[in-house]
Amino acid sequence: MPSTLPLLEAKNISKTFNGVVRALDNVSIKVHEKEIVSVVGENGAGKSTLMKILVGVYPPDSGELYYRGVKVPFPKNPLESLQRGISIVYQEKGVIPHLKVYQYLFFGLEDYFIKFGRLDLGRIFDLTKSIFEELRINVDINKYMFELPLSTRKLVEIARAILCVRCVAGERANSSDFNPIIILDEPTAPLSIEERNELLAHLAEMKKNASFIFVSHIIPEVIAYSDRVYVLRDGKVIATHDLREEKVDEETLFREIVGREISRYLIPHTVLKEELEKRHVVLSVRNLTKKGHYTNITFDLRKGECLGIFGPAGSGKSEIAKSIYGIISPDSGEILFHGKPMKLKEDPGSRLSRGIGYFSGETGKELFLYWPIRKNLSIINFEKVSRGPFKAILSLTAERSLAEKLMRKLRIKAASPEVECYSLSGGNKQKVSVAKWFEKMPEILVLEDPTMGIDVGSREEIYEVLLDMKKNGMSMILVSDDPKEYILLCDRVLYIIGGVQQGIYTIEEFKEMIEK
Amino acid sequence: MSAIPLTGLLRRNLNSIIPITAFIVLILGLRTINPYFLATRDSVVTLVLDMSWFLIAATGLTLVILMGSFDFSVPNIVKLSAIICGVFYEYLGFGVIPLALLISLIFGLINGLLLARFNIPSFMATLATGIIAEGIAQLISGGYIRVIVDQNFIALATATIPPGIGLPAIFYWAIALWAIGIFITLGTPFGRKIYAIGSNIEGARLAGVKLVKTRMLVFMLCALYAGIAGILYASQLQGSHMHIGTLDTLPLFASIVVGGTALSGGIGGVHRTLLGVLIIKWLDSGMSMVALDLNFRMVTFGAIALIMTILTIDRRRVKIIR
Amino acid sequence: MSGKTTKSFTVRSSLLASVPRLVRANPIIWAIIAMIIAFSAIEGEAFLSTRNFISILRGFAVTSALALGPTFVVLTGRLDLSYVGIWMFSNTLAWLLFPYMGYYSLLICPVFGTFIGFLNGVIHAKLKAPAFISTLSVTAVLAFLTTIIRNMLGQISLTVPPPEFAQNWPIPFLPLSFLLALPAITLAIFVMFFTKLGTYFCAIGSDEEAVTHMGVSKERYLILAFTISGMLTGLGSIAIFVHLGWQAKVLFDLDDVVRGLAAIVLGGTPLSGGMGGPQRTLLGALAYVLIFNGLFLLPGIDPNQLKLYIGAMLFIAVIATSKGLKGIIMT
Repeated sequence: MPSTLPLLEAKNISKTFNGVVRALDNVSIKVHEKEIVSVVGENGAGKSTLMKILVGVYPPDSGELYYRGVKVPFPKNPLESLQRGISIVYQEKGVIPHLKVYQYLFFGLEDYFIKFGRLDLGRIFDLTKSIFEELRINVDINKYMFELPLSTRKLVEIARAILCVRCVAGERANSSDFNPIIILDEPTAPLSIEERNELLAHLAEMKKNASFIFVSHIIPEVIAYSDRVYVLRDGKVIATHDLREEKVDEETLFREIVGREISRYLIPHTVLKEELEKRHVVLSVRNLTKKGHYTNITFDLRKGECLGIFGPAGSGKSEIAKSIYGIISPDSGEILFHGKPMKLKEDPGSRLSRGIGYFSGETGKELFLYWPIRKNLSIINFEKVSRGPFKAILSLTAERSLAEKLMRKLRIKAASPEVECYSLSGGNKQKVSVAKWFEKMPEILVLEDPTMGIDVGSREEIYEVLLDMKKNGMSMILVSDDPKEYILLCDRVLYIIGGVQQGIYTIEEFKEMIEK
Repeated sequence: MSAIPLTGLLRRNLNSIIPITAFIVLILGLRTINPYFLATRDSVVTLVLDMSWFLIAATGLTLVILMGSFDFSVPNIVKLSAIICGVFYEYLGFGVIPLALLISLIFGLINGLLLARFNIPSFMATLATGIIAEGIAQLISGGYIRVIVDQNFIALATATIPPGIGLPAIFYWAIALWAIGIFITLGTPFGRKIYAIGSNIEGARLAGVKLVKTRMLVFMLCALYAGIAGILYASQLQGSHMHIGTLDTLPLFASIVVGGTALSGGIGGVHRTLLGVLIIKWLDSGMSMVALDLNFRMVTFGAIALIMTILTIDRRRVKIIR
Repeated sequence: MSGKTTKSFTVRSSLLASVPRLVRANPIIWAIIAMIIAFSAIEGEAFLSTRNFISILRGFAVTSALALGPTFVVLTGRLDLSYVGIWMFSNTLAWLLFPYMGYYSLLICPVFGTFIGFLNGVIHAKLKAPAFISTLSVTAVLAFLTTIIRNMLGQISLTVPPPEFAQNWPIPFLPLSFLLALPAITLAIFVMFFTKLGTYFCAIGSDEEAVTHMGVSKERYLILAFTISGMLTGLGSIAIFVHLGWQAKVLFDLDDVVRGLAAIVLGGTPLSGGMGGPQRTLLGALAYVLIFNGLFLLPGIDPNQLKLYIGAMLFIAVIATSKGLKGIIMT
């Protein structure tokens, strides 16, 4: 039974960025010794901001911090938080593949082990072996990190986090009431189902060595393995549960995370099921599999239909979308375009020539930021702006008039087509991106996070454009983190968890699933 | 984050300001040192013969640099191409021309393959192929100088147009090839794709640019230009020897960056290379006018290459410095 | 084992577990053994003589001196081509200072090398210039400055009279140049295996984003890598000075640049960084020297083919070790 005085308590934390975006609003959380506390919420709910404040990446605007009941200042940098005993394991980029396990474990900490000007390798080896024994992790310390399976890598990362805390805390780490807190940011996202269970089971065992704050999207895991849960939405803690005392089911948590405003959305654009079945199948996917990401995905896409692929982070939805455009390749299965099979390993250029497009909300990757608008619009529309034999000559006048036409149609606010895209607002950048696809009008457009991080007004305008294209016969596949987007744009939704297809639902069924 | 504190406007146009300033300074400086510079037909012809083959090679190389890649094999392909002409002319006559061009294309193909299919960084791949090209040149020439006496071949580069009072033919070749280069890069979708790859290679891929095909084609074009430069060099020289193109790597790069094309790719272009070549070659002339030998010139080119690289590299985009 | 990120590696390594790990990790060792056997068989006494042994050791010393320094930069995934320039110019400085400092002037070499290395590091890490172009420019500037100095002084060569003990070298089997290379070799091994720097350089080459994430300053260690590279080259250049007859080299030869790179690549340190190190470069240097030593002694070898062999060898070695990793698109 954990002691009643919390190890760490944060009260009334608020943080606003740029005076506009309110990331956290009066958030309070507690962590006790030897427990696993989960923090769940959508993208943008404030989870990572909260964690960064706890480890000292930046300070809060207001709030208080208590350590074992004693008020302490917020850490000013990650080193200070390490001294307090709080460490973080990031979701990505926390591993250095070419280091051996013991080198990685002590990376950054070597200065604590210098003897006579050289590294005390003997002590490093001993400590490595002992910490792995203590945490019951079975690994050959001479192996390179890239040789380890993913779940073991995460375990080593966690071991390193604990080690960092102990090294920095120094002598204090030896006292019996020393209890580090390790923050885990989406630790299971890149793992397969078996690997996840391995990791989480281990985590449960490691409770006696440390407390964990588990940031996650994946509801079943949170329910199965945490002691307590905080639900963050729009920067506020809207619910908290003690899973040892109350039984909470998945739909409740899901509803709390997503919110209840969905039913207010109109759906005038959904194609009715009977109508849909009459239409021609443009894309057939059969048993598409990519090891470690998704298995046996099967669906049909009809003309003018929008199919959403929905699931939590790491479910494989993004990989499926990328596989259809050729950004990554599936291992096995079939993709039939108008009934004819396509090569599984084809590059995006070839897919584009067939009539399949891909639009990503990440304008940094999608757009050529230092290019003027007109060049960004013509990059996939060369046929429309080139003249002469073999369509080899670019016509600047044609480019310019195309740009002007599209800027008018999509209400892109810029002085002229010569304006370079980096200077446009987020919403306008997105519109430029969409505009080029609007002109291209591919048969199928794969959308990934189409309205990532842009304001509500621009979002509406982009939806309008997409729905217009849909009415003109374009089929879409949507992958997004925002359930409201699915409801607005899609006719059917494929639900996927852990790479496994759970089922294909109509939009009404999907709405019910979310609202309950 | 720029380490050089200049005002915004100045900084953005550094690419254009530096070459034009250098150009003006050079004209004035050189005229002062030698009032006959560019004043007589002879001095113009000398300059033309010096810079024409160089301009052709530099144009081809610019295409590769625009993509953000490098090609260290260009001077060696020029050498090999010239040597093929010199060594085989007595057996093949004008047939050496298609042979040299074919061999150059093959090297370009290999360079492109190594990068696009095998993912080997271009500077390394082309260093290796460059050495192989040099090795082949050494092998077939045995180190000997070759002389070509056929006036028809020599006329390819040196025939005066208009006859008697004009400039050697190689000048027209060079300008024409340079103009074709400008047309390709600025006036065709293919050229736009080159810039796309240099600006944002991932975005280019997402926009359907076929990376393998496009990059291979560009390396082949670059090698083709180098091959043509070699053939015309042999014509102008009336023979070939193993020192052609040696030590030209640095001046080639220097002339491209001094013109304002950035090594990070996506910025500048073939149109700027003419100015860069003029600047470098005039600098060269200037230095020999004041009797500074080869070594001073190499030091200068090295310094210029270094400084211009630092100034023009697009730091906004260089996240992973390589 | 040049950085393949495959899960199947675990299976493969257990299959080969019976072979000593050292040999398995460095396939060049097989090539070296094979060459020694082949050349001994074909050339017999010419190859196995004491004279040849000393010649091999001297070549090994010179090649290592050039290649050890840049190896550390290659570990971080960058290329440092400044070694030829550092060597030539620091030797020239030593010659210039000889009348005032005697043989102690040779100590200017590592000092100068450290200075240039540091400069290279700052130009790359702070000014963000691509390393290979900036170091290539530096080499060009330094190497040709050497020739200019010689021309200005009207000298034919920059020689220094060898000391007594060098003229009548008492130790059999071990030439002086080889012994003079040992400090650089020892220092390189020490830095790699007994300090945290070896690990840090590999880490940067492996995943520099992760390194910054983990709170280690990538810039600082990059500058350090270039500095160490310059220092080791400077230190090693003392051996080359002696090897050439106690004089500075005054004419730039591209073959020297190739020699250094070849040793690194042959040794098996991938140019993309993350793995390898000076221990591999030493093997690569040995392999390089053996190839040319053995080829040279072969009856009927055409010297015109030599250059092609260098090229082909470098080509194959580059393909074998340079393959890009982790799905990052190379330029």
